[in-house]
Amino acid sequence: MSWFSRSRRESAPAVAQADAPEVYKSLGLSALLESMRRKGQGLRILDLGSAVGGNVEFLSELGCKLHIGDLYASRSTAVEGEELGQEFFEQLFPADTKLDVVLAWDLFNYLQRKEMARLGVLLRRNCRPGALIFALMWSQKQIPAQPIRFRIQEKGHLVYERRTELERPGPRYVPAEISGLLKGFRVDRSFLLRHGIQEYLFVRDDEEDETRAI
Amino acid sequence: MAWNKRDDQPNAPEPAPTAPRPMSSAPSAPVTSSPNPSPEPKRSGDRATIGASIIIKGDLSGGEDLVIEGRVEGKVDLKQHNVTIGRNGRVKADVFGKVITIEGEVDGNVFAQEQAILRQAGAIRGNITAPRVILEDGSRFKGSIDMEVKDSGSRQGSDRSDRPQSVDKQQAGEPAGASRAAQAG
Repeated sequence: MSWFSRSRRESAPAVAQADAPEVYKSLGLSALLESMRRKGQGLRILDLGSAVGGNVEFLSELGCKLHIGDLYASRSTAVEGEELGQEFFEQLFPADTKLDVVLAWDLFNYLQRKEMARLGVLLRRNCRPGALIFALMWSQKQIPAQPIRFRIQEKGHLVYERRTELERPGPRYVPAEISGLLKGFRVDRSFLLRHGIQEYLFVRDDEEDETRAI
Repeated sequence: MAWNKRDDQPNAPEPAPTAPRPMSSAPSAPVTSSPNPSPEPKRSGDRATIGASIIIKGDLSGGEDLVIEGRVEGKVDLKQHNVTIGRNGRVKADVFGKVITIEGEVDGNVFAQEQAILRQAGAIRGNITAPRVILEDGSRFKGSIDMEVKDSGSRQGSDRSDRPQSVDKQQAGEPAGASRAAQAG
């Protein structure tokens, strides 16, 4: 049960070091929620972040089915320094379900480019045409050493809960690079926020568009 | 109940007399304990406890609430009763109960008739099916959450009282008002 024991060891100090949460207006989240409400109930959502009770409640009130992938905690069970392979990413996805929404939060910043590409292939495979990915990319050189925990609030606000004050170099992906890594998706909307985060809403192309592109 | 045998621990305090318990493990299921057993499993009222040193390999069913502090590798089926997986408890199978509270670890699916509560120290790798789910901050969960009330016949979200609910237990120092659940009442 290494997933349990390792994660517990790692999560304990992180919680203790957490800063006071900051709240930001999220234009990307607002756009996402607007789209989700238009699409109606029964949406299948993959949350690549860790489980946050308030988010679970929020999304269930929209009539969504939620799957928690917890990418970062799962990563702690992989061999340190080793590149994450296809198998690792496959276990993040629910079985036999095509997704309508993926909440990637800031997790793309914590993947190497090759890993991003692998995840991108699986996202494309597991998402319906028109599916949305909500991602937050840091534009700064230094980023938090661990992914932030995001809590959805009313009116499109996001609470940022840092797990640590430590920092690490950020990948500084440029928009064209991200689009290249997420083949089959295009940038639907993008918002650069004052605190150095660029919010992206990617949309899965229709199969026809893909065929035309090929 | 094999894990409650007094023969194993002659010096353990004698439990208060209670009505015979219908709880049982599957007939063929071996029940083992570690070589150095802890004090006899406790029983208080209609609640049984599987002690930290107890390992059960087999299915469990019964007619009273259950606290698991030991290790269970087999289905826990107490649909009409509350099940608590204590801090030391580990379950590697599906768990069925009325209200299921998890402070330990579950590697399997959780099916709660009324409510599933994942405490701060708890971890689940599996799916949760319950009309109401509470995930406390710091808890670990990986899997799907199904909070649809299938028996009600009402469309999910059509009426607030039918809606599934989930709340965050706020960390110390964080205002409770920040929780959406608090707003939802």
